Amino acid sequence: MDRKKNLSIFLLLAVFIIAICGLVYELVAGALASYLLGDSVKQFSFIIGTYLFSMGVGSYLAKFIHKNLFDRFIEIELLIGIIGGTSSVLLFLLFQQVEHFQFILYFIVFLTGCLCGMEIPLLMNILKDRVQFKDLVSNVFAFDYIGALIASVLFPILLIPKLGVMGTSLLFGIINICVGVFLAFYLSKFLKRPTWIKIKAILCLVFLVVVFYYSDRLLAYSENQLYGNNVIYKHSTTYQRIVLTSSKGNYQLFLNNNLQFNTKDEYRYHECLVHPAMSVAKTPKRVLILGGGDGLAAREILKYPMVEHITLVDLDEGMTKLFQTNEILRQHNQDALNSPKVRVVNEDAFIWIKDHQEQYDVIIIDFPDPSNYSLGKLYTNAFYKRLRFLMHEQSIIAVQTTSPYYAPKAYWCIHETIASIFPNPQAYHAYVPSFGEWGFCLFSPDKNVDFQQVNHKVDNLRFYDYNFSKLTDFATDMQKIPVEINRLDNQILVRYFDEEWSKI
Amino acid sequence: MKSGARYKWNRRHFLKASLLLGLGTTFLQACKRKANHILLKLTGTNHILGHRLWLPDFPPVSEKIEIPVLILGGGIAGLSAAYQFHEKGFQDFLLLEMEDEVGGNSKSGSNSYSKHPLGAHYLPIPNASNKEIYQFLEKSKIVKGWTENGEPIFDEEQLSFDPMHRLFIDNYWQNGIVPEYGLDEEELAEMERFHSLMKDFTEMKGRDGKYVFDIPTLFASNDHDLEDLDSISMEKWLLDQGFKTKPVFSYVNYCCRDDFGTGVKHTSAFAGIHYFSSRKHDYLENEEAVLTWQEGNGRLVSLLKKYAEGKIRNNCLAYKIEWDDNKVQVQVYDSKTNKSTLYITNQLINCCPQFVNKYLIPTRKTLSDKFAYAPWLIATITLKSFPAASGAPLSWDNVIHEGKGLGYIFDQHQSLAQYKAPYVISYYHSLDAQDLRKERKKLLDFNEEQWRDFIIEDLSKAHYGIEEEILDMRIHRLGHGMISPVPGFMMSEARKEMAKPIADRIYFAHSDLSGLSIFEEAFYRGYLTAKEILTKYY
Repeated sequence: MDRKKNLSIFLLLAVFIIAICGLVYELVAGALASYLLGDSVKQFSFIIGTYLFSMGVGSYLAKFIHKNLFDRFIEIELLIGIIGGTSSVLLFLLFQQVEHFQFILYFIVFLTGCLCGMEIPLLMNILKDRVQFKDLVSNVFAFDYIGALIASVLFPILLIPKLGVMGTSLLFGIINICVGVFLAFYLSKFLKRPTWIKIKAILCLVFLVVVFYYSDRLLAYSENQLYGNNVIYKHSTTYQRIVLTSSKGNYQLFLNNNLQFNTKDEYRYHECLVHPAMSVAKTPKRVLILGGGDGLAAREILKYPMVEHITLVDLDEGMTKLFQTNEILRQHNQDALNSPKVRVVNEDAFIWIKDHQEQYDVIIIDFPDPSNYSLGKLYTNAFYKRLRFLMHEQSIIAVQTTSPYYAPKAYWCIHETIASIFPNPQAYHAYVPSFGEWGFCLFSPDKNVDFQQVNHKVDNLRFYDYNFSKLTDFATDMQKIPVEINRLDNQILVRYFDEEWSKI
Repeated sequence: MKSGARYKWNRRHFLKASLLLGLGTTFLQACKRKANHILLKLTGTNHILGHRLWLPDFPPVSEKIEIPVLILGGGIAGLSAAYQFHEKGFQDFLLLEMEDEVGGNSKSGSNSYSKHPLGAHYLPIPNASNKEIYQFLEKSKIVKGWTENGEPIFDEEQLSFDPMHRLFIDNYWQNGIVPEYGLDEEELAEMERFHSLMKDFTEMKGRDGKYVFDIPTLFASNDHDLEDLDSISMEKWLLDQGFKTKPVFSYVNYCCRDDFGTGVKHTSAFAGIHYFSSRKHDYLENEEAVLTWQEGNGRLVSLLKKYAEGKIRNNCLAYKIEWDDNKVQVQVYDSKTNKSTLYITNQLINCCPQFVNKYLIPTRKTLSDKFAYAPWLIATITLKSFPAASGAPLSWDNVIHEGKGLGYIFDQHQSLAQYKAPYVISYYHSLDAQDLRKERKKLLDFNEEQWRDFIIEDLSKAHYGIEEEILDMRIHRLGHGMISPVPGFMMSEARKEMAKPIADRIYFAHSDLSGLSIFEEAFYRGYLTAKEILTKYY
């Protein structure tokens, strides 16, 4: 076979591979957008549209390249490899930090599309003197479309299941660059500056391989199986592992593998946690939230115009930062944590309440469930005794108290522990589909308080209708049972909780 | 976006392939694990200063101080004497301490992550008869008040939090410290029989109506038939009682070492039984409950120290005591100023251990040599995280069954905050053998690497891979960690003789005179001696 024929075959093979890579980047961007932003139909359409449009822009721009076509072609090849290959890593990392995530997403899609769009015209330009025009057009487009078919079949069946989004884009970035490396050596004599191009190609390859090797340290994919949904954010802080997943347009937040909320129905939970207390309080001006770093309780509290100040104490800065900066989550908590009325304190709640004396009208306690001895301390009589110093006579306090259905002993244990310090705590519960039947406790130092009384109301709640008595009826399978009081020196609550949840 | 082991495997393969492309291996080397570097530090009591007593060549006395009462030694006994003086409004005394801080065996330290003990680390709920201790606890807000039934209400934040104990036995962490997991019926039955025998001893009273086993020992019966128990070892007693199974011996051995430094072989049966039978559990249902703090009994030291404010002179080593009918003269070397001072006093409360006193008062040497002291080692270890272990969760006290050491305390356990890494633990080890002098030499001769390896080996039994997690290890050595009630000692004439005052001017109050190194003994010896002096002379 003559050299000329060989060359065009290799170049057509390159078209084939490039086509696969190009479509893979597009699919990766589409998949990422729907994972991270939800609403997959919309995101996929937008991404495909943007991608095709930017390919057009690229094709148009290709005509301005006249000189050193081989050099430019290989360079474009390398650039696509780097940008397309690292796009998913970049988007994953930036999703947690930047405010205008969508802008960056579409910018990267545009850039990749643009560069891919330049490839085919450029290649046709290179081949036009070597191959007959008729053959050229048919061959190039045939290889291009076959490549696209293979990519679109492989992507959902093989690539995503085996490699994950990030691995796929990195692998194809590497393949793309390998094409560049191969061409740089193979076409050496056609190149203007062969050594320089070779060095660049090798450096790009090394860079991507290194990123590929370390990518699972950036994000460990293995947890996806655990959550069953698409993990879109993951962060380990000193205290906990925060995982945000998305499925069917809803988001789920997990702390140490325990579901914290699902955007689908969290309003039921947070309305029940906040509004009974807020409506009973005489003048809810100053509110304290312990835990609740997601800002969802704060969102509900801010609905009351008379609220002047909220102090939110959550020990995990990673958590509050996330809900202060991430666009989607901020939308969800209505930017509550950035409200001028809200002061976020990242301290240990037990230590913080020991060191403070100021009084609050309402206190909302939204700690994780007492699943270990460390958390169990936050539900002891010692804790509630300390809390008394942050109350005046009419303060109203609401606490989340686990499930009265799944963990009745734990539920009533928290209730009895509160009852050992405060008069007449009121147990109540609601159904939250993601959690099941969930319980709370309302209490006050004021023994004459009437929890049915509604002093304040806001409109447009989706679940709570200020008819408190609806929530205070406990069916036979959730009735109060005799339990011990939770103390630091017995931590009986953690034992109840353990025993009950391990049965499920 | 799924993946898992399979995916990683693929990736490795891919990597190997890419290596074939000639990419070099430099970046692979970058991710090779670095050998874990543990910061090591060796500390301990100031034995170099103390050992200058062997060949006293102190500068001549250049100053004289007259003080009506002088307390020597700033451990719990000395501080308790000062506390009693303060109670009674008596101000004319000074307290001299050889180390740069008072506290003795109850000293504590701290690092960036936690306070931690450097010796005794808890106070069991005192017997109801220990009224003076309860007064002190109430003043210190450890007891917040009393119930209608006259029971103390302890501050729950100072009672040991749950979970308290776990024991690593049969490759598993079980709850509680008494071996249960994996024991067969015979072994369990012997454990039960042992505890029921101990219960009988707890209730046993002498002909004078007092408990045979009581704390402080000063309150116990002097007229009973169990004195002979002191002449045999605890091991001999167990054998005499027909105990055969290993867990009982291991458990009792652990308990003896924990309180006396010496194990079943070298502890007298009387002392061994005392450990189990002297606490009457008058209050609190939970018999295991103790008072404890992150800094261990360092908390009690700081509470007692307040009562001696302005009266304490640190770095002061007494090296000679002389007396006549009128006065006691104590020559003291100040290691900070390198000067010697003569203290002239009417009454001296000597709260130094007897292994020190034999140099200050040479006539006491023969009897002093009957006092045996077990060497101890306490290592404060900072860990990145705990290696996974199956069974009970991390507790306050974590013991490895038949381990070389005595397990470890989780120092942040008593913190109200959420636990977070790094973790700080205190590892305890008593060097137990027939010849405690030899062990003492070993304690000093081993260098820090040798002790580090010893400790890691011991902890690795329960925590495989713990070495990787260690950031920092501070090894604190106590050459004379505590008095060991070896067979014959508690009932010995030597002990009784040494506790007697000299010429009604020199009083001895160290807890080694009880044969037991516990807070209550030291407290009562110091407190009652001070009281006696006040009643007689002031």
